[in-house]
Amino acid sequence: MSADIHALIGAWALDAVNDQERRLVEAHLGECASCAQEAAELREAVARLSDVTVAEPPARLRGRVLAEVRRTRQAAPATTGAEAAPQQAAPSRPRRTRRTFHLPRLRLALGAAAIAVAAAFAGVVATWAIMHQQPGPSEADRIAAVLEAADAEVAQEQPDGGGQVTVISSASLDQAVVVIADLASPGADRSYQVWMVDEAGQVSAGVMDAGDSSATMLIEGVGDTDLIGVTEEPAGGSDTPTLPLIAGLPLDA
Amino acid sequence: MFDQGAEAHRRQEPTRLSVAPGAESDTADALLHRAALGEDDAFAALYDLVSARVYGLCLRVVRDPAQAEEVAQEVFVEVWRTATRFDERRGSATAWIATIAHRRAVDRVRSAQAAGERERRAATETAVPEYDQVAEAAAGRLEHRQVRRCLKTLTELQRQAITLAYYGGHTYRQVATLLETAVPTVKSRIRDGLVKLRDCLEVAR
Repeated sequence: MSADIHALIGAWALDAVNDQERRLVEAHLGECASCAQEAAELREAVARLSDVTVAEPPARLRGRVLAEVRRTRQAAPATTGAEAAPQQAAPSRPRRTRRTFHLPRLRLALGAAAIAVAAAFAGVVATWAIMHQQPGPSEADRIAAVLEAADAEVAQEQPDGGGQVTVISSASLDQAVVVIADLASPGADRSYQVWMVDEAGQVSAGVMDAGDSSATMLIEGVGDTDLIGVTEEPAGGSDTPTLPLIAGLPLDA
Repeated sequence: MFDQGAEAHRRQEPTRLSVAPGAESDTADALLHRAALGEDDAFAALYDLVSARVYGLCLRVVRDPAQAEEVAQEVFVEVWRTATRFDERRGSATAWIATIAHRRAVDRVRSAQAAGERERRAATETAVPEYDQVAEAAAGRLEHRQVRRCLKTLTELQRQAITLAYYGGHTYRQVATLLETAVPTVKSRIRDGLVKLRDCLEVAR
């Protein structure tokens, strides 16, 4: 699979991939420094293709742009927050319960998880190399957008070993937020890893730092994912999940 | 937190990339940096420097001047908003802005396609780049001649695949359909062609 994704770097540099492929390529670039370097070089070369299409815009555009800019707040600089995730109080609920709510009820039911997300994303959102150069709102803004989406669905699970995994997904945004709180400590040389599982198999959505038991992440390009799974892996993650799943949260189709 | 590669990338100490030669590139970098500090006048100067590049690219991809103007405006507001996140070690300001512009233009075209606003036949027709005409209009600028010259070093299939994807805003699968070529072939020709283009343009490495 990795070779297939690597072969897409050219198409990615031209924005000639779909959202799912873009996500896969960027995940790949995040794991492969030399690939990221090649991708950056290709992007730089691609940008030169705009040398030959220059055309003066209508004069009115300047005034419009500068007027809109005057009333537009600039984004905060990206931080690579090293702070630990705020710990979420482990609710005393029966373990291995699994729930799905629709949003109106969710606002109450979800309260604790949503607050935990809001508290967590300020400090723990991972911004990775390529994303620094990507256009668009900050990851924190995008997480907030998922939480507030009209079609947000929530699933929660309390793994046997303790803690809680919450997934808030929005089909319309094609994104999901995964909040992992207070799982059993995996040990200094083990990492928790999050997977997107569909009929075709599974794709890594992210690897937590070794030894960490809490984290928040945004998944883009949820697509046809049937299940968000969490496994315990050697530090740095694995290419394929080591079973059994610590948690497995189905997404509504 | 999740490590999605930021650490690995930082350890690599990426070299500064730049393919936009000369004073324009340096100036754009400096102006973008000042814009990131909230300086309106620097942003206005940056607009003057790159607006023809941004609008021209949007116009080429979107084709409709009114829509191209809208997209270009979105691009500049995004450049202003996210200037704070630009990292000069990972590429030139000009390339960063062109990347934003292309992505926005492509998003516009694809959402129109998804909404069924765009007739398939029209899409196919307009997607074929009027390459010589474009090159003609841009003649006389040194860097334009360099891009033209480098595009000529590609094979016909490489060049067609790259220009259809970039100027036409098509995915590589759509390009394969347009060129009646197998998808894996198009995928590899695009990559090989871009590598050749990069080497010809002498992207600093």
